[in-house]
Amino acid sequence: MILLACSALAAITAPLGVLPLKSPGATPLRWIGWANALAAGFMLGNGVVLAEAGLEYPPLLGAAGALLGIVFVYWTHFVSGTVDLDLNQLQQTEPDYGYKILLVGTLHSASEGIAMGVAMLYSVPLGIAVALTLAIHNVPEGTILGAVLTSKGVSRRHAAGWAAATNSGQVFLAVTTYAVLQAMPAATPIAVGFAVGTLVYLSMSELLPQSYRQAGATGIALVASIAMGIVVLLGGRGL
Amino acid sequence: MHPAVAVFVYASITALATGLGAIPFAFVKQISDRTIAYANAIASGLMLGASFGLVAEGSEFGRLQTIIGANLGVAFILLTQRLLRRYPIEFGSFRGAGSRQMLLIMVVMTVHSISEGVAVGAAFGGGMKLAFVITAAIAVHNIPEGLAISAVLRPRGVSVAACAGWSVFSSLPQPFMAVPAFLFIDAFRPALPYGIGFAAGAMVFMVLVELLPEAYEHGPRHATALIVSLTLVAMMLFQQAL
Repeated sequence: MILLACSALAAITAPLGVLPLKSPGATPLRWIGWANALAAGFMLGNGVVLAEAGLEYPPLLGAAGALLGIVFVYWTHFVSGTVDLDLNQLQQTEPDYGYKILLVGTLHSASEGIAMGVAMLYSVPLGIAVALTLAIHNVPEGTILGAVLTSKGVSRRHAAGWAAATNSGQVFLAVTTYAVLQAMPAATPIAVGFAVGTLVYLSMSELLPQSYRQAGATGIALVASIAMGIVVLLGGRGL
Repeated sequence: MHPAVAVFVYASITALATGLGAIPFAFVKQISDRTIAYANAIASGLMLGASFGLVAEGSEFGRLQTIIGANLGVAFILLTQRLLRRYPIEFGSFRGAGSRQMLLIMVVMTVHSISEGVAVGAAFGGGMKLAFVITAAIAVHNIPEGLAISAVLRPRGVSVAACAGWSVFSSLPQPFMAVPAFLFIDAFRPALPYGIGFAAGAMVFMVLVELLPEAYEHGPRHATALIVSLTLVAMMLFQQAL
């Protein structure tokens, strides 16, 4: 129940990203960069906490899961033809771009959903922490999507709808992952590794490279490392 | 042999092992921009993986203290970086932006060895029965650290032999910190989580502020991300297996 609420919360924040588009040009690229850095820091922090949780399992299983997670995200990027896609071009108006950005959004919210389910299985506070992280991370994602769609004449309300739609898959996947793992506890170490792998790879392949182009490296590094510290401090079994 | 002398000898052996990390670079002939990017990515993965492990280790002594230490580590690197920007620096015969990164990684890894030395001394505090196992484990653990250092130094023009030398140098605080930590374990134990956190924070920040931006600039995004993530997993697996 908590899981459902949390993953839903993470999904509904995406439309919020459309809000700043009210006054065009009002969102400086720097802010998107910092938001991306914040999300990357949260993701890495969740990775640390999950990895720590995974230490009690056989390391080889966890590593195999992590490998699987990394390959999975890489593969989804590759298959969808979005390996080289630059996700943060607010001015990009090619016809293909809107479609591709929807596809990427949907695919990677799938990995996010799995990470959420795994975290929730491990402990409720960790699950909430991961969901909150992803909720924050979904806001700038919605901004980009909204900017691209509105530039094509889609109304802001519809753009918000699309933003929510791309993220709705993660609610389903979060719940499914949770259910599957409860039925098959033996798969937990692999699932924990999988989540760590996807979180690390997503922040390395999407969030960080983008953010460095949007704001200075020192600011990005500060935001990301402090965000990481906060998650690590709050995460874990102590809570 | 007095136990303290033994600790010094064992910790020196582990310091020497760091130099082995330079060996793979003897086989890399061409050094292009892309080599720098990938070497940066490898160093990033190794350092992030090590920090992930350090956080878990430090948390056994106290999570809050570890995180406080980590924030101090971030502040320390930020300040060092500012200082190095202000003054023209030389690293051996090297100058400019490359030399700043070289100096920074040396500072980061040497500082990291201080807390590691304390951890080594504390490990010997349990008695000399496990001395061989502990020495072997830490020696092997030091090799990727030498690799990380060499990955930064070698593409910027430092010779393989000098890479090995600097790697060993970065671990020299280990024997010198291990002995007092071994002798006065009770006095050192409360400081340990701060030190471990400091090392983790410094490494993470160094990766985020220097190594990754440069890696993305010169290498394809996904290949870089793949190398970082895989190295990170390998490093964690490696440390867990020991």
